[in-house]
Amino acid sequence: MSVIVDLILGVVTSIGGFVEVGSISTSAQAGSEFGFQLLWAVAAAGLMLAMLVEMAGRLAAVSKQPLAAAVRERFGIQFQIVPLGAELLLDLLLLAAEIGGVGIALKLATGVGFQWWIVPIGIAIWTMLSTCGFGIIEYGIGLLGLVTLSFVVAAWRLGPNQHDLTRSLIPSLPQHDAVRYAFIAVSIVGATVSPYLLNFYSSGTVEEKMTEKELWVNRVTAYMGTGFGTVVSMGILVTSAMVLGPRSIHVDSYDQAALMFVPAFGRWAIALFALSLGIGCFGAAVEISLNGGYVASQVLGWAWGANRPRGSATRFTAAFTLLLLVSLAIAILGFDPLQLTMISVALTVVVMPLMVLPFLVLMNDERFVKQHTSTAIGNGFLAALTILGALLAIVVIPLEVLGG
Amino acid sequence: MDLVRDLLDKKVVDRHGREMGRVDRLVLELRDDAPPRVTAIELGPAVLADRVRPIFGRWMRGLEVALGIDQGRPLRIPFADILGTDAHIKVDAAAGETPASTVEKGLRRWIGRIPGAT
Repeated sequence: MSVIVDLILGVVTSIGGFVEVGSISTSAQAGSEFGFQLLWAVAAAGLMLAMLVEMAGRLAAVSKQPLAAAVRERFGIQFQIVPLGAELLLDLLLLAAEIGGVGIALKLATGVGFQWWIVPIGIAIWTMLSTCGFGIIEYGIGLLGLVTLSFVVAAWRLGPNQHDLTRSLIPSLPQHDAVRYAFIAVSIVGATVSPYLLNFYSSGTVEEKMTEKELWVNRVTAYMGTGFGTVVSMGILVTSAMVLGPRSIHVDSYDQAALMFVPAFGRWAIALFALSLGIGCFGAAVEISLNGGYVASQVLGWAWGANRPRGSATRFTAAFTLLLLVSLAIAILGFDPLQLTMISVALTVVVMPLMVLPFLVLMNDERFVKQHTSTAIGNGFLAALTILGALLAIVVIPLEVLGG
Repeated sequence: MDLVRDLLDKKVVDRHGREMGRVDRLVLELRDDAPPRVTAIELGPAVLADRVRPIFGRWMRGLEVALGIDQGRPLRIPFADILGTDAHIKVDAAAGETPASTVEKGLRRWIGRIPGAT
């Protein structure tokens, strides 16, 4: 029985935790500029994430150690320092963007400028991280995050043409602005397949003491949670395509994106958008900060865990505090959250091959995953993703310059 | 035993299972008439950084000195004190009594004040 409850909670929290600055900005831009046409990119990115999340969870459940620890043991510090350094940099930028996202949400709700909110948001994040156990952090955020389902409700209320939606799941070439189209497609992948998600998920698997016998729970959570989460991202894209697209509103800021709720929710539109953006970004900010503590501690062999009293894992606590402080400093400097988001999703694509490659080795190493090694499909996927990632990594910077 | 596979970079725990760090470096003794022998493992950010680039190791060492936490670091554990090498490297020591927990304990002064931290 408790397994079923865990499963439902796991799936629900994955859905509630899916939407954050990356998915909102890339999906909203895709919809406003290219209609439904980029839905396939959202679906493809969701599938990539689901497969990687399942593997990260399987590795952690079988080997009893999270991804970052396994990479250190298998590849050594000389290799790991590169993806690790890149991830910490990405986490910093993305965290600053998420904090900015919460600030914008509060600005939409109150009219007070977003920079005034940065410090209170930082205090709220830190208080939650310093006093709550993993369950409250994970489930609390996930359940509150269900408000982001309003994107799906909005899309549904607008009554999109089913045939057009289905057709958009097959990749097609754009009629105009091919470079911009390619840039947004790549950004969607970068916004979805975030390294922090994989490390966070595998750390959570260890925190919750998932065993080899519960691998099916991991598989269902990974695919269903990510699958439904992807539907929320699609909701953003569809709503944006039907509301912002026809009015030629381009998403240059989160304030503009908020307009997409007006036809569906009328006078509740801005409040509901602010709530969705705010909770989604706050949840992501908490997870990214915590992930900083996880990764640093796991790589260096310190005591870690959100279920431990913070006084018995002080370096872990210090690590997430430090990451949060630096990100708050970046946020307070007043960089535009949307620009920070777009830069960090582009950089994510650059480091993707280095992030995926370890999976190819670890998921075939019986010392880590015993008999649960990857199938030919899994290996084919990883190999394809590494090659695709390498290609995308080469094109993303020129695309960022030309199409960003 | 494959040293790089089975020893280097693995997690080190004390005799009570408490985290001490990871095997950041191996100390080998070169002998004239016999193959080299592992005499100890070393733990510490300075030796770890040194493996990435020697200059980083010097910076990290400088940081330790500046912070006044260089006493007894890097921590060297004789090979004979290794109790087991299964999932983790278990060593015959108590983490709290070694320099491996200098920072952990030092931070407790502040972090211990968080409600529910102890």
